[in-house]
Amino acid sequence: MSASAHHGHAAGAPAAPYEPVFTGARKTRLEALFEKYPTRQACLLPALWMVQEARGWIPEQGIAEVADVLGLTPAYVKGVVTFYTMYHTHPVGRHFIQVCTTSPCNICGAEDVVKALLRETGCRELGATSADGRFTVAEVECLGACGFATPILIDDDFIENVTPERVPGLLQGYK
Amino acid sequence: MSQDLVNVTIDGLQVSVPKGTMLIEAAKQAGVLVPHYCYHPSLPSPAVCRMCLVEVEKAPKLLPACVTAVADGQVVHVDSPAAKKAREGVLEFLLINHPLDCPICDQSGECELQDYTFQEGRPGTRYSEYAKRYNPVEDFGPDVLYVPNRCILCTRCVRFMDDVAGTPVLCVAERGDRAFIGIDPDHLLEHPWAGNVVDLCPVGSLISKDFLHKARVWDLDKTASICTGCSQGCNVTVDTRDNTVVRLRPRANLDVNRHFICDTGRMNYRWMNRGDRIEAPLVREAGRHLATDWDAALDRFAGLVRKGGKAVLLASAGASTESLGLLKGLLREFDLTAVVQVPAGEEAPLRGVPNLALRRERAPNGDGAALLGYGSDWERAIQAAGHADLVVVVNVELTGAEAAVIASARAVVVLGTIESQQLPQAELVAPITSVAEESGTFVNRDRRVQRYLQARTAAGMARPAWWVAAETQALVAPAAGVPATSAQAFDLLAETVPGLGGLSYATLGLTGRIAGAAEAAAAGAPR
Amino acid sequence: MGYPHPSHPGETVVLSKYFGDAAARSFEGWVKRGGYEALKRALAMTPDAIVEEVKNSGLRGRGGAGFPTGLKWSFMPKGDGKPHYLVCNADESEPGTFKDREIMRWTPHGLLEGCAIAAYAIGAERCYIYIRGEFTEPLRVMTGAVEEAYAAGALGPNVFGSGRRIDVVIHRGAGAYICGEETAMMNSIEGKRGNPRIKPPFPAQAGLFGVPTTINNVETLSAVPHIINRGAAWYKGLCLGNPKSTGTKLISVCGHVQRPGNYEVTMGTPMKGLIFEMCGGMRPGRTLKAVIPGGSSVPIMNAEEVDRCLLDYEGVIACGSMLGSAGMIVMDDSTDLVYQIMRLTKFYAHESCAQCTQCREGTAWTSRILERILAGQGKPEDMQLLLDLADNMTGKTICVLSDSCAAPVVSGIQKFRGEFEAYLQGRRSPAMAGV
Repeated sequence: MSASAHHGHAAGAPAAPYEPVFTGARKTRLEALFEKYPTRQACLLPALWMVQEARGWIPEQGIAEVADVLGLTPAYVKGVVTFYTMYHTHPVGRHFIQVCTTSPCNICGAEDVVKALLRETGCRELGATSADGRFTVAEVECLGACGFATPILIDDDFIENVTPERVPGLLQGYK
Repeated sequence: MSQDLVNVTIDGLQVSVPKGTMLIEAAKQAGVLVPHYCYHPSLPSPAVCRMCLVEVEKAPKLLPACVTAVADGQVVHVDSPAAKKAREGVLEFLLINHPLDCPICDQSGECELQDYTFQEGRPGTRYSEYAKRYNPVEDFGPDVLYVPNRCILCTRCVRFMDDVAGTPVLCVAERGDRAFIGIDPDHLLEHPWAGNVVDLCPVGSLISKDFLHKARVWDLDKTASICTGCSQGCNVTVDTRDNTVVRLRPRANLDVNRHFICDTGRMNYRWMNRGDRIEAPLVREAGRHLATDWDAALDRFAGLVRKGGKAVLLASAGASTESLGLLKGLLREFDLTAVVQVPAGEEAPLRGVPNLALRRERAPNGDGAALLGYGSDWERAIQAAGHADLVVVVNVELTGAEAAVIASARAVVVLGTIESQQLPQAELVAPITSVAEESGTFVNRDRRVQRYLQARTAAGMARPAWWVAAETQALVAPAAGVPATSAQAFDLLAETVPGLGGLSYATLGLTGRIAGAAEAAAAGAPR
Repeated sequence: MGYPHPSHPGETVVLSKYFGDAAARSFEGWVKRGGYEALKRALAMTPDAIVEEVKNSGLRGRGGAGFPTGLKWSFMPKGDGKPHYLVCNADESEPGTFKDREIMRWTPHGLLEGCAIAAYAIGAERCYIYIRGEFTEPLRVMTGAVEEAYAAGALGPNVFGSGRRIDVVIHRGAGAYICGEETAMMNSIEGKRGNPRIKPPFPAQAGLFGVPTTINNVETLSAVPHIINRGAAWYKGLCLGNPKSTGTKLISVCGHVQRPGNYEVTMGTPMKGLIFEMCGGMRPGRTLKAVIPGGSSVPIMNAEEVDRCLLDYEGVIACGSMLGSAGMIVMDDSTDLVYQIMRLTKFYAHESCAQCTQCREGTAWTSRILERILAGQGKPEDMQLLLDLADNMTGKTICVLSDSCAAPVVSGIQKFRGEFEAYLQGRRSPAMAGV
């Protein structure tokens, strides 16, 4: 999921002021990471994951905070964040659904799974968040489970062999 | 100096180059330009544009000339059918998302995409898909606009800010054909050398706000010159249109400024177009300044010089070596105090290039003046001027207090560019040419003597200050050869000034020479 | 295959023996099944001896390139005084491939053991395992396994009392197929955009953080303990085809077969045996149309080529494609091949890193031409245009993503031209909305 506008300005930015992520236990976790890589810069991907885990997405201030703790510039961090599609640079629903539609899954009905997901979640289109803020559905590339078509990810839950019929039941557990 | 030399054949021409030279540079030695975008001799090479692919015999694939080092016996074909087809392919790919902006794009006429497409691109596009991308123009900071639609993602700008300027404020954002150059809105291109990204951009994607829609480059006259902003002596090109200076650009000099100038120097040209110039020589008659011709003016000056006594020469450190030298020579019979004043400013280095910075000494010829024996004790000189027999002020703006002190000198001569009422008692006010209107030399802080050429015609009746000195000297003490050109003026100085010996305009060329080097070489001393 | 179905008798079960066996995942479970004996044995050998053994086994890189593993290890300098790194490529993103995921979630300690032996053999004290960000279960399982291994002294400053240090760091990717390219992976670990690097320099000279590095695939490393335990000659003897292709290969079969899954076969096994016997063949009433055998970045094979193909590196080349990662996508006659080729080009366009002009622009342009054809707006000259663009995209870039995009297009036009012409001539109704 990439920002729709240049400069990474978030669509629908949060009203609440940004609270730093790297305090307390997370700060300790980050410092433990410094032991595992010879440069601070190498801690960038893990640090960005930590921001996303804490805040659900990575706002501009998050980019600035990561840059600050790692001794990098915000522009540099932005170049990295926008390269990797799993980092969200704008807010998403409480539960983020990724569905693979690359050819191996495509020939096994992945596009029907997409339609079912959009219907059952109430999301207008791919990439949009449902009106109740519960779900965002994204179409992604090969998830590496082609023999278990169609795989989807709901948050960190990797679910195999999804069919349109299974979709309503699967979504129940995610409030 | 012995080096391992490697022999390669490029498009049939044999060249011998040092080991480790990249094919693209070796090709230059053979007089062959390998078309390229992302490569630049002052930046690290990422080999991403793929434009410089050349055919190397016995290699299975085309090789990027910018990162392939020479190997002994290599036979390289830059213009083989395979290489040309590859380049044609790259150009076609670049043009599918590139808008047909030429009619409104400033880069037109100096655009490398235009140039190579005209030279070897396809005559028409095969792209018939949906409309090209549309993204709005972005403001990147003090002088730079970014037009994303035109960007070919060569990444020269990113690499310049990262590696040469040392502040990574630009990045490549996103992936694939969605990629664009990103910037942090809180840290725009405020770096003192950031304006260079406009020159580095091969197309009209990064453009100068200052130059926006100002002139078509094919209407410009381009003149080699030297920046007058500080003592670094960056080589520049002065672009003029209808005798008006519209732009300064860096001129390559690997020993001084490589390919760059700072933003301060880049913007330092508007004064060259000022209209409030002294139009004609003014001599003082019956308490007033009367405009006259040069004969009368030089006559007045010669008369004052013949009287002798104590003289104070207050000169601008932006005056040419020729002017400073000949004026000092003119006053040699006096008990002379000759000084220049060099304004000071903050230093701003370009970290990635050794010995390159916007210097504290904000004048181009302080070192030239020093070489000629000028002092720097301005205060003392002003005091001395108060009871001098002759004070000569050369293109200096004095403070009110300074002018008041000088008023009590017996005679004052002003050689100036800008109209001023500062010294109404001056016996003579002579209009002189600005740096843009004359040919001359400056000596930079490394004692490099560099030529600058005339970029526009003189305002009014202005003549170079060295000419005023030479002509006056001829009246005072007729001599055989009176310098009629700045080259001859320089030759005259080279006869007597230590450090300038052995140098001439011919030997200076357009890259300059270090003062004293010629003499040292002649004496057999190591350089 | 072991999971979700029991292994087929036609398989040669080595790596997949414990797929589906949840008890095999723990350290104790693995040791009970003979695990970590190979590491102990290896630590008593010299690094050179290990490299020799792996060389003699004929093991080749299982990530797709098929480069001889022992030879790759031997490129690492000795006595250079610099730190060395081992990187385990667990970025598995090649469409059609899903074997490394199984290895990691069923036999994590098998992989760790292979990493440790390889690290020791190449003089590395640290191994980074780069796991793609979407593999949440392998990340969990591998992280747990690493903790267990440290606790048991199988990793750490003094592995099994040998005096050797071997550390493993799990590094999570964040959604970029291109990071599976070894030089892009190194950039990603270093905290940069996942851009492939120009070579030279090669990783063994200047790799991760600028020092000598070896990058190996999950399946490759997982085979190493077995080679140490049972010997190079045993591994080399597992060969039904060309002697240069030895050992077993996990073939990830997906698409239109009755029983998709990972099948572990001896190199040289006939492809048709795999598809029609082990996988149960086509769905009822369907016939085989095409197979992309190596993950999607290789030429498409038609039924005739499939029929005579032996599954090893040379065998697949002889039948007009490449074994690659062995992510085998099987397509029956219900498949709209033009649509699927379009979908694959969109994959490559989405994943292009944007460095090279041909890839950045060419992948997207190719996909748009195919969309236009599918929308019934194709022109006769589009066929030649696609081939021309594919030629301009092949052999001219820093990495082979661009070539990978061209492969299905070229082979699709060469072997299935009729399918394209059906759209061009309006004999098939549009499959997409036009522009």
